[in-house]
Amino acid sequence: MNELIDILEELKPGINYETTENLIDGRYLDSLTILSLISEIEDEFDVEIPAVEIIPNNFNSAEKIYNLIQKLKNE
Amino acid sequence: MNEIFSKYYNLIFLLVVSFNNLIPKKIRSIFYLIISLLFFYIMSGKLIIYLLITITSIYISALLINKVEEKQNSSKKIKSLILIVCILINLAFLIVFKYLKFFTISTNSILSILGINFSFNILKFVAPIGISFYTLQGLSYLFDVYNKKIKAEKNFIKVALFISFFPQIMEGPIARYEETSNELYKNKNYTYDSFCFGMQRVIWGIFKKMVIADRLNIVVKTVFRDYQIFSGPFIFIGAMCFTIMLYMEFSGAMDVVIGTGEIIGVKIPENFRQPFFSRNISEFWTRWHISLGKWFKNYIYFPVSLSKPVKKINSKVKKMFGRKVSTLVSSGIALFVVWLLNGLWHGAGLTFILFGLYHFILIFLGNILKPYIDKRISKFSNNKLFKVLQNFKVAILVIIGELIFWSLNVKALFIMLSKLFTEFTIDKASFVKLGLDIPDCIILVLSLSVVFIVSLLKEKNINVREEIAKKNIIIRWSLYYILIFSIILFGAYGPGYQPVEPIYADF
Repeated sequence: MNELIDILEELKPGINYETTENLIDGRYLDSLTILSLISEIEDEFDVEIPAVEIIPNNFNSAEKIYNLIQKLKNE
Repeated sequence: MNEIFSKYYNLIFLLVVSFNNLIPKKIRSIFYLIISLLFFYIMSGKLIIYLLITITSIYISALLINKVEEKQNSSKKIKSLILIVCILINLAFLIVFKYLKFFTISTNSILSILGINFSFNILKFVAPIGISFYTLQGLSYLFDVYNKKIKAEKNFIKVALFISFFPQIMEGPIARYEETSNELYKNKNYTYDSFCFGMQRVIWGIFKKMVIADRLNIVVKTVFRDYQIFSGPFIFIGAMCFTIMLYMEFSGAMDVVIGTGEIIGVKIPENFRQPFFSRNISEFWTRWHISLGKWFKNYIYFPVSLSKPVKKINSKVKKMFGRKVSTLVSSGIALFVVWLLNGLWHGAGLTFILFGLYHFILIFLGNILKPYIDKRISKFSNNKLFKVLQNFKVAILVIIGELIFWSLNVKALFIMLSKLFTEFTIDKASFVKLGLDIPDCIILVLSLSVVFIVSLLKEKNINVREEIAKKNIIIRWSLYYILIFSIILFGAYGPGYQPVEPIYADF
């Protein structure tokens, strides 16, 4: 989880990723940032995030992104 | 004639409002479906057959995809084959109805340039109204089933109603199944409150269309038809009027659509969020025609940027130039595809393709320059004057985009663009030629000021209708009467006026 928060803070600083739960719905992360995030996650966690998983429910908080990574790792 | 504002829509609207609460809840979905198909039949006649084929093909394909998945040795190839066949059936209709003429003319021109003495017959068919909207909406349901985001719906009526729901079918918004399916089958009775709130929204939409858009239509028609007699400033006024007209016509239609839904208890997603308060062009497209932008983002932008070939390019670029550049490249490829399709979705013609490419260049350049610009402007980002300047910058870029969009042809576009930068004469005679008199201008300024104030309040998260509802009966009804009577007294109808012809419904 800490690695993920580091990535998020590097890509888009100034957001409290521990508490924010509307990263997509609140328009904190735009499409370009999401692409950068996916690229970093795929390198760091050795998973492949398919386009169909890019939905607000998977990206609205750091915890949800982390859960998605865990789910994809277990698949 | 604009379908959402037509007398036929009024008739259907009256039918629904009159009988909604009387129809038993169990069969209310069937009632909505019959009404929706009746509306479509009135507007498009026998072409309803194409809508029915779209509904049936999507319904069956989604069920088949689910069936293949349920089998133990489910084959991805068969699933993909079903998806592709269904997409091809529906795209074939779109191509024949919307693009055949354009492609035939383009092919004939290429053959002629190559010196080949052969040309194809030019065929042009009348398209079913709203084909671009209901096709995208239907396909989004199919894609979501294919991607296992939702289960295929067994009830044919539910799928048919989702694709053909009468307020949405002509001009959207293009909803996702999970967004509106539950809303459509809540089968609520309307109440005094839902009726009042919904009607307010409907009347607000009619005000925007009849008082503002139809009045601006006079200027737009004149400038875009007789562009050769106007100098740069008047071309700009014409493009600005078209931009405002398009916004008022389309967002007004959305007010009628969403208001109709509110009356019968169906929540329809918003399609506009004060677009002219955007600070850059990327943001503008997340506030204007929101549902189309989301469709392209979900089904084109992310799938293209995360596709295998683009990922290969991405990893090569990443090794050479690092993550920032590689993300820009992936995003650039996807953006190019999105904006090419976005241009073509709006119409078959070179001007529409150029409109798409213009936005691709603006957004792509914006993405490249963003880190440098952000650094330089960060200290002003909360400055109100700076925000207003950014809003003006966006407005000017959008107006130029709409000039490309609405030009008669490429030749007219280049003449108009060159006049913008070379001819600066302002004369009284040209003002007269625009076709608006002083009362028209006063009405426009006043009504646009009202729209601006309402938008400003909405931007500040103030719900205008709820605020009005809190006021006493005299203030409340005075405001309602002012709105209704301004439509009756100042609506641009009768001799000398022509209502805006369908712009979005024709896409």
